[in-house]
Amino acid sequence: MRETRSPLPDATSPTQETRGASLARRSLLGGLAASGALATLGTPLHAFAQSAPALDQGRLIVVFLRGAYDGLSAFVPWADPEYRRIRPSIAIAAPDGSTASTIDLDGRFGLHPALAPLLPLWKDGSLAVLPAVGSPDPTRSHFEAQFQWEVGMPGKASEMPGWLNRLAMLDSAGSRPATTRVIGVGEANPRILAGSARTRLVAKGQGATRPGVVGNERARDALLELYSGDDKLSRAFREGVESRLMTAKELSSEMMAADNGAGSAAGLALDARHLATLMRTDPALRLGFLSAGGWDTHANQGAAQGQLANQLGGLARAIIQLRADFNQPGDLILVMSEFGRTSAENGSRGTDHGRGNAFWLIGDRINGGRMYGRWEGLARGNLNEGRDLPVLHDFRAVIAQPLARVFRLPESGLNDLFPGANWDRSLDGVVRRT
Amino acid sequence: MSVVLSAVRSVVRTAMKAVPRPETTARVASALAIIAAALGFAAWPPATAQPLAPPGATSAASAAADASRAAESDTMIWRAASRLGYFPTPEITRAIRQHPRGAQGWALDEIDRAFEASRQPARIPAQFSALGSPLPTVFDEFRKDREARRKVEATPPKSDASSMGRNDGQPPAGPGAPFGLVTPVAGPAPFVRQIAQQASAWRVLACSDASIENPLLARLTEFWFNHLNVFIGKGTVRPFVGDYALSAIRPNVLGRYETLLLASARHPAMLFYLDQAQNVVDGSPGAKGVARGINENYARELMELHTLGVDGGFAQKDVRELARVLTGWTVDPFGSSGFRFVDRLHDQGEKTVLGQRFSADGEREGMRAIAMLAEQPATAKRIARRLAQFFVTDDPKPALIDRLAAEYTAGGGDLRRVMRALVRSPEFWDPVNELFKTPYDFACSATAASMQAGASNDGPRPRMALTLGFLASAGQPVNGWQTPDGYRTDAATWLSPEALTRRADLAAALAEGAGDPEYLMSFFSPATRERLARAPVQSRAALALASPDFMRK
Repeated sequence: MRETRSPLPDATSPTQETRGASLARRSLLGGLAASGALATLGTPLHAFAQSAPALDQGRLIVVFLRGAYDGLSAFVPWADPEYRRIRPSIAIAAPDGSTASTIDLDGRFGLHPALAPLLPLWKDGSLAVLPAVGSPDPTRSHFEAQFQWEVGMPGKASEMPGWLNRLAMLDSAGSRPATTRVIGVGEANPRILAGSARTRLVAKGQGATRPGVVGNERARDALLELYSGDDKLSRAFREGVESRLMTAKELSSEMMAADNGAGSAAGLALDARHLATLMRTDPALRLGFLSAGGWDTHANQGAAQGQLANQLGGLARAIIQLRADFNQPGDLILVMSEFGRTSAENGSRGTDHGRGNAFWLIGDRINGGRMYGRWEGLARGNLNEGRDLPVLHDFRAVIAQPLARVFRLPESGLNDLFPGANWDRSLDGVVRRT
Repeated sequence: MSVVLSAVRSVVRTAMKAVPRPETTARVASALAIIAAALGFAAWPPATAQPLAPPGATSAASAAADASRAAESDTMIWRAASRLGYFPTPEITRAIRQHPRGAQGWALDEIDRAFEASRQPARIPAQFSALGSPLPTVFDEFRKDREARRKVEATPPKSDASSMGRNDGQPPAGPGAPFGLVTPVAGPAPFVRQIAQQASAWRVLACSDASIENPLLARLTEFWFNHLNVFIGKGTVRPFVGDYALSAIRPNVLGRYETLLLASARHPAMLFYLDQAQNVVDGSPGAKGVARGINENYARELMELHTLGVDGGFAQKDVRELARVLTGWTVDPFGSSGFRFVDRLHDQGEKTVLGQRFSADGEREGMRAIAMLAEQPATAKRIARRLAQFFVTDDPKPALIDRLAAEYTAGGGDLRRVMRALVRSPEFWDPVNELFKTPYDFACSATAASMQAGASNDGPRPRMALTLGFLASAGQPVNGWQTPDGYRTDAATWLSPEALTRRADLAAALAEGAGDPEYLMSFFSPATRERLARAPVQSRAALALASPDFMRK
């Protein structure tokens, strides 16, 4: 079952020497010790990790596209001659200036026309994309892969807290943070947020703006009395009352303000706005999570228009909403999916489960406006099992870049978060030095 | 805190003013919740309904002697009725109390009653006129509906898209938007919308009203539908979901698993949902001269989710080969079953799935493959684990799983036999094995309990709207899980702080006008009973349904 191909191909795997060199350079920036793995050397770390807690450096938003979105339609390798040949009915037309064609980015890749709103981010250099990122674990199961991405451990199947939650714990040196640092909007209890650190979980859509029955003082008092015990359920309820009143209050005042010309938002964009409002109102919240489903396009995915184009349009609106709100120097938005889709279209004008996929990073500190990482093209000989983009970069190594550089997470922290992952020197330029 | 609270009060007032005369059921749900929140506890009408004494309940005096035994048996009644159904109605409570072999004896009988009920057509209320339609009618109406919509789209008013400055449509409805359940239109609703609404409403009726559906049969329909999940938000699936539940799942939940799996494999809902309807031999002629071919979506999930499980020992090659075996299995818009096998779209070559060879044998290849998958030890184990998680505890011990798996295998996949083994297991009755209600459990049981307590909701529709609206906002819309893995049912997924407070909203709205729910008290802990006793009588029903005790099953 295991893939023979290493997640970090020999061609770019740095030698011990170059690794040491790159990490030494890195340690100047981030106070990190040098080593081949994220964590092997016991070199003492700079003290500033203590004086400047990592999460105060910025805010991290993870947008997870559940169901494996088709990265080859989002960031179109239009100049690759294979692209059109293996996707006869779903390829996006080469750039011709029309609204139904690819929007060229760098002469090799281009944006799906439904992602046109992202073009300004590319032009101002705040959006960077890696075309072939994934997990070393070869699973093609959505559910298994999502679990592994969310706990940050390829191959992991047993119970484990999510990596965003563990990141909050790391930030407070392993003890439960006194304040809530993590927030998710939309899902009941996503794995990536599960764990010991307290998490604020907010309902999707307009429902989040209403205090409901606990907004009534007498009802609230009676309910709080029922839940006055010290059991888990009672504690959760009391926490929920407090959290919900705050959420409703903060979002309701936002909605009144938003009526003055902010326009309507729906779906993911509305959740994005809620997330931004709540994180702005409570500065202790540093880690945010959003997700969107509907990407598993096995049939009739469409091209410039259609099912996938609609999905991408909704995503673009949400990302623009997020970027407008998360515009501080340390703010960072990551967009990812559990794996990619087959390079060729299948027998029903869709795509099946693949391996490598495009991973986006957005923020002031991103050295964007260009593609990063390796790309080997779509020729059959370069594909995984002759059918998918290979995984040329481990997703953990991509996430580690901003965690180390922006959030100044020390090496030991990176290792706790992503045990067994390797620092990927070839990605070193993706985060801008301050 | 008090600043927050007064602000919240003003928000509630504003929200009330802002809520227009509710046109849609979603708005009804939220508006009623808000109104209940703002007014309910202060202004509920005094209880008019007589408190329902538990039938056959012993008086306080005579119960004193064997108080502990009675408490124990109430715990077992709550457990049996809440897990093998949704709620201990007085009738169910009485039946369990009077059963000579106690709760376990009742449970074994209940399996037989559910089996008998599964052999009978479902009792569909007359106003659910679309739901009982034969499949060819559904296909025909679906086609007309699409054509009508295409006509509308062909002559676009164009205003909306351009004024919004975008040329793309809205993303397809996700699990949060329950697909027209919440947006009745003026005039008669189109057929597809009607049948989709009725499919979801039927599920809520079935789980909350024991006079309509045997509660265990409703439970098992929930479980197996979820195990073989389809998504009502996918356009082609939408009109077929009701029939899928009623014709493919319901009659087979206590039969052999192979039969259930085959019924699911051949149903248009599943054929469309996982694109099997389009899985054809590579190079088949398609529209506009584009060749069509293999689609491996269904074949993968058939092994990963429906049978073997992700670690069940299959590889990508098996997925591909199984997809080839199943080529030509597609929908039939004109036949009563909705299914047909098209030999010219079938891959006639030799295939190997899990080491077994399949030479050209038409439709029988797929039937053989499904039978083979159903009898694999990995399948037995996966089904045993899922049943144990659903009925016993989130993290069942291997001993229980192994016992159920062995029963599955010994019985050739006889699901009735597995269910009997399950209720005979000590684990099922062990108080250590707790379960936290999912939103669906909570909604069904709270609906049933509110009817029991004489809530004033006039007729099933407003209650239905509340319940469906709650489930959508709670993240568990009926028939609305997008991916084929189905809803998770564990506490780790559903127990979260704000979500818990939303249950109180539904409790308050459902319990409007309900009398003192004295009937529930014997199931509750002394602490909860004591706190409820101190609450004003008109708010007692809402509080009882919102209490921590009501959240467990």
